[in-house]
Amino acid sequence: MRYFEQQHQPPREGRVEALDKVTGKGKYAAEYKLDGMCYAVLIGSTIASGKIKNMDLTKAKQVKSVIGFVSHLQKPEVPGFASEAMIKASRFGLPIFHTDTIYFKGQPIILVIAETLEDATYAASLVEVEYETAPFNVDFESSYGAVPMKEAGKERGKLDAWSDAAVVVQEEYNIKPEVHHPMEMHATIAQWTSEDHLMLYDKTQGVNNVQQVIAPLFNLKKEHIEVMSEFVGGGFGSGLRVWPHVLAAIMGAKQVKRPVKLMLTRPQMFIGTGYRPASWQRIKLGADLSGKFLGIHHQAKNETSLYERFSDQITRVTRLIYNFDHLKTEDALVPLNINAATWMRGPGDCTGDFAIECAIDELSYKLKMDPLDVRSKNIAATHHPDNKLPWSSNYLLDCMTEGAKRIGWKNRNAAPNAMREGDWHVGYGMSVGMWNAGRNKTSAAIKMMSNGQIIVQTAMTDIGTGTGTGMKNIAHELTGIPRNKITIELGNSNLPPAPSQGGSTGMSSVSGAVVDAVNLLKLKLAEYAAVTNLKFKDAPEESIVLSETGISLAHEPTVKVSYSDLWKTNKLDTVVVEATSAPGEERKKYAFCSSAAHFCQVRVNIKTGKVKIDKLICVADGGKIVNEKAAANQMSGAAVGGIGMALMEERRFDHRFGGLIGDDLAGYHFPVNADAPIIDVSFIGKPDPHINPTGAKGLGEVGIIGTAAAIANAIYHATGKRLRDLPITADQILS
Amino acid sequence: MKPFELIKVTNTKTALSHKKEQVQYIAGGTNLVDLMKKNIHLPDTLLDINDALIRHIDKKDNRIFIGAMVRNTEIATDKTVLKELPLLSKAVLAGASPQIRNMASTGGNILQRTRCPYFYDITTSCNKRIPGSGCSAYEGENRMSAVIGYSKDCVAVHPSDLCVAFVALDAQVHVIDTDHKKSIIPFQDFHRLPGNDPHLDNNLPEHALISFIEIPENPFARNCAYIKIRDRASYAFALVSVAAALHMQGDRIIDARLASGGVAHKPWRWLEAEEFLRGKNVSDLVFSQAADIIVGDLHPLAHNGFKSNMLKGAVETALAQCLVV
Amino acid sequence: MKKNTNFSRRFFLKTTGAFTLLASIPAVLKATYIQVKEFIVPSKRIVPLTVSVNKKAYQLDSDTRTTLLDLLRENLDLTGTKKGCDHGQCGACTVHVDGERVLSCLTLSAMLVGKEVTTIEGIADGDHLHPMQEAFISCDGFQCGYCTPGQIMSAIACVKEGHTHSVEDIKEYMSGNLCRCGAYNGIVESIQKVAAS
Repeated sequence: MRYFEQQHQPPREGRVEALDKVTGKGKYAAEYKLDGMCYAVLIGSTIASGKIKNMDLTKAKQVKSVIGFVSHLQKPEVPGFASEAMIKASRFGLPIFHTDTIYFKGQPIILVIAETLEDATYAASLVEVEYETAPFNVDFESSYGAVPMKEAGKERGKLDAWSDAAVVVQEEYNIKPEVHHPMEMHATIAQWTSEDHLMLYDKTQGVNNVQQVIAPLFNLKKEHIEVMSEFVGGGFGSGLRVWPHVLAAIMGAKQVKRPVKLMLTRPQMFIGTGYRPASWQRIKLGADLSGKFLGIHHQAKNETSLYERFSDQITRVTRLIYNFDHLKTEDALVPLNINAATWMRGPGDCTGDFAIECAIDELSYKLKMDPLDVRSKNIAATHHPDNKLPWSSNYLLDCMTEGAKRIGWKNRNAAPNAMREGDWHVGYGMSVGMWNAGRNKTSAAIKMMSNGQIIVQTAMTDIGTGTGTGMKNIAHELTGIPRNKITIELGNSNLPPAPSQGGSTGMSSVSGAVVDAVNLLKLKLAEYAAVTNLKFKDAPEESIVLSETGISLAHEPTVKVSYSDLWKTNKLDTVVVEATSAPGEERKKYAFCSSAAHFCQVRVNIKTGKVKIDKLICVADGGKIVNEKAAANQMSGAAVGGIGMALMEERRFDHRFGGLIGDDLAGYHFPVNADAPIIDVSFIGKPDPHINPTGAKGLGEVGIIGTAAAIANAIYHATGKRLRDLPITADQILS
Repeated sequence: MKPFELIKVTNTKTALSHKKEQVQYIAGGTNLVDLMKKNIHLPDTLLDINDALIRHIDKKDNRIFIGAMVRNTEIATDKTVLKELPLLSKAVLAGASPQIRNMASTGGNILQRTRCPYFYDITTSCNKRIPGSGCSAYEGENRMSAVIGYSKDCVAVHPSDLCVAFVALDAQVHVIDTDHKKSIIPFQDFHRLPGNDPHLDNNLPEHALISFIEIPENPFARNCAYIKIRDRASYAFALVSVAAALHMQGDRIIDARLASGGVAHKPWRWLEAEEFLRGKNVSDLVFSQAADIIVGDLHPLAHNGFKSNMLKGAVETALAQCLVV
Repeated sequence: MKKNTNFSRRFFLKTTGAFTLLASIPAVLKATYIQVKEFIVPSKRIVPLTVSVNKKAYQLDSDTRTTLLDLLRENLDLTGTKKGCDHGQCGACTVHVDGERVLSCLTLSAMLVGKEVTTIEGIADGDHLHPMQEAFISCDGFQCGYCTPGQIMSAIACVKEGHTHSVEDIKEYMSGNLCRCGAYNGIVESIQKVAAS
């Protein structure tokens, strides 16, 4: 009967965790229910700079279910923060609850813990804090000018060697800060299961990273901290760091000796989990009349906090895509009374690429050349332009060709401001983006049962990228075991160690580990099979074939041992293998990149300033695509993020108060469904021969990197108006 | 949120009998619950008036009556509204999200408070929140703020779209005060300009209830449009919005209505431009001249100068769209 | 490089000064603002509440301040409904009340007497998923999955309301549900699929 049912109900297509996600059963960090759990609420400072003079808890304590407070005045011991020097050495960033100094408005200064969320929230509103204020500055625009540049990377050629270039574009580009805003607000449930054991349910992109950061602060053994992050409601970089609120929850749990749940509010997401810093850039780009680039001078500055310096490495991408004989890159940091910035999707490259791709577009109009041809002429298609290593694979030119075909690039009127439909001006724009394709040391394990079921495990999180599904697909392809007999377990620090999910390295890293684990499994099963059939003895892994029911040899398919026999003969329970896979010698021989080309068609209403994106096409080279649907989803989603960057996203300050204004999702706009067209995504799909055993490169970053420039270039083509500051809101169009 | 008592009332008499200071009425809750979470409103008692007031749309003597408890979605999809007052439907659908429109009541929409970011940020001064504390927006980040009718004490704008259509259609607000006296306030006089007392959004007597909105018969069903310009395609408050309605005879404009949101402390009628349009034949030039009259009245602040161009474009676009039938 | 401004201090002086003005403002507003100054911390109001969620009647004592969203997530262990902003600005908390999509974060639980609440946990028929759930799986209408329950509840309503005539129509009527992963392609496709069947 069971077999019959299976025949008539084919297994669902879709992600491994799909059922949990569409039924609401999957548990995100704040959704675990623990005995004795209480609720914590963080309070931020209301001034931007100064000192805490006094905290009056009288009113807050009148809320009956309040259990405790944590602040610099009352706190459990954090051995790793025992002295100023140790705080510094910990590199934790903000020394939460260990200072009376205020570095930015909203800085967490006290944690209120109560029996219910309602009580904790209300009590938090009753805490009264007295400050001694000090001067502050949150104004990036009026501050960056005074900060001197320093060299960013080695200069190539000479800056003045191309001073007589036939065509030069020299322009400045400003991008407002953007906030990650994953839909799930960051949350941590902290539970001290014993004096020296800690359980954390945490929203993070890397469970092992949380262990590494927290363990030394409390003199704990790493493995005595279990971090559970099975479901992560998005990250985009915000989960790559361990932020102050995580420590706050842990300290709170220690203080009240009970499990504590702390979920940030949306306004706290603006100041508690990083952001893409505001930036200023200047590009000077020179070319000869044929369109050959002669040189580039790229300068960039980004804002940073006072307590921690973060460079977004904006000029890095300038060394990646094109050949420039002469290249000089410089950058600088502008410290302000703001919270720490961090990596946000396509960090640095997203920002730098916008400036370069807009400058190239501008250059192509000066040259009266097709922007596509200008790029084709200069793309470093064979070698990494900086370190001169040959690309292991680079299909950026193919991406451009395919994208141009899809949007009908050659059918457009190339002149700007020339295509109109009433008040709507139509324009086409394109750009390219690239990302260093990385790979990190990652472990994966496989557990196999007698019925042929396997569990594939890694500590890596799946923040929505489809990591688990990719792992399943690889395991299925290599073992022949049907998908419904493969279970994926991830996002827990007890599982085989893995790096954080970020920088487009997730699939590239874990895929190698899964391949290696499968190979180990084959060898191990062959060893057991050799007990009954000697032909399996010392069989090389490439000759071993697994299937749903048993093990056989490639050259002798009839020689087969069923799993049930194998388990019986060897009196096995569960067969476990674990493999670790890491980049190696190939990194010395080749350079690795993912790339994409974005094309878009916009309509701009010259009367109202409205911009509508009619078409957005994205063609990417991400090596082998392990999971086509999830990969396309990643790319289109990243493009939606690019629309936000191009047209609406901005973290705004009131420079007088030093605080944010409009710090909620009504004040900070990112794209709704109606802002995006149905995005057309396609892949080159050729495996990279060297990056890892599967040939999969990363995709998460290249999906967004060129998007904003493509849109800005299309707006220029539509209107003749060159807008170099993001976001391009209606007011800019109308100015 | 501060603790509060919740009392459900089933008639206006009971509702109005609770004259305590810290009592507030609640209907859909889409604005009030938010304001309570933000510690901007701190009522001791909430009176749930959902069952105390009318929740249907009636037509009597060619006048349409919309009960205070009618949900936004119900206005947008009501057959009589769609046929006779399509401008209302267009305005409603330009606002908020389907979920919020399902919850939000007509009375609540009219009484909703400003979305000025300083009003929402209790760490800054705001004369609407704390009278006399000062207006942070006047010399602050005022991109979203008013361009007409403001004072140094307040540059906030009224956030409603529906109200822009109401004012354009000469609606009237039916009110019951605490003495159970019924009265009618013309929509145009319902909301106030900030002046020196911006903490008062409107002229509704203290603790009084809005019972329903009356809209007189009008000839604007055929040629009307609602244009809203915002920072994204949907689910955002207006930078500027325009309700336009024309009564046409051939190419001649017999009567015109023009009103805007996102420009002032109240939904704003452009009476001078309406007067200019009356009797004119439609043309791009005439529309542009009407828009110029409007823009000539504006006094933008430091960060919202763009609203002049934007409003001009929106007025022209709305008028042109009135003719697309 | 730091600008010297005394604004903050001035502001606090001004705010404090403001309370002396309270005498001149109407009672209703005074009531609102005077709390800041007074020391009486009111006790929470706990009321007996009967609420029907997914056709199951729950009887419990509830704080009047508890929103439907917090009731579901913190008291009834129905964590499928998500908190994405808690202020009606994202749609992650969308549920159905009497069959209409609403935001549970702006709904006070105590106002739900006599109403039927449906959450993501209540739309499947036993092991048979709702067609919209099936469509979200097969069209990959999500990535991280956090906005997904809200998207699905909204999508079911979108189809029921009949706003599926075009991609634009669907997109407009689904714009009350933010998705930061940007899985809008798959969301639209899911709705088209269900609307067509």
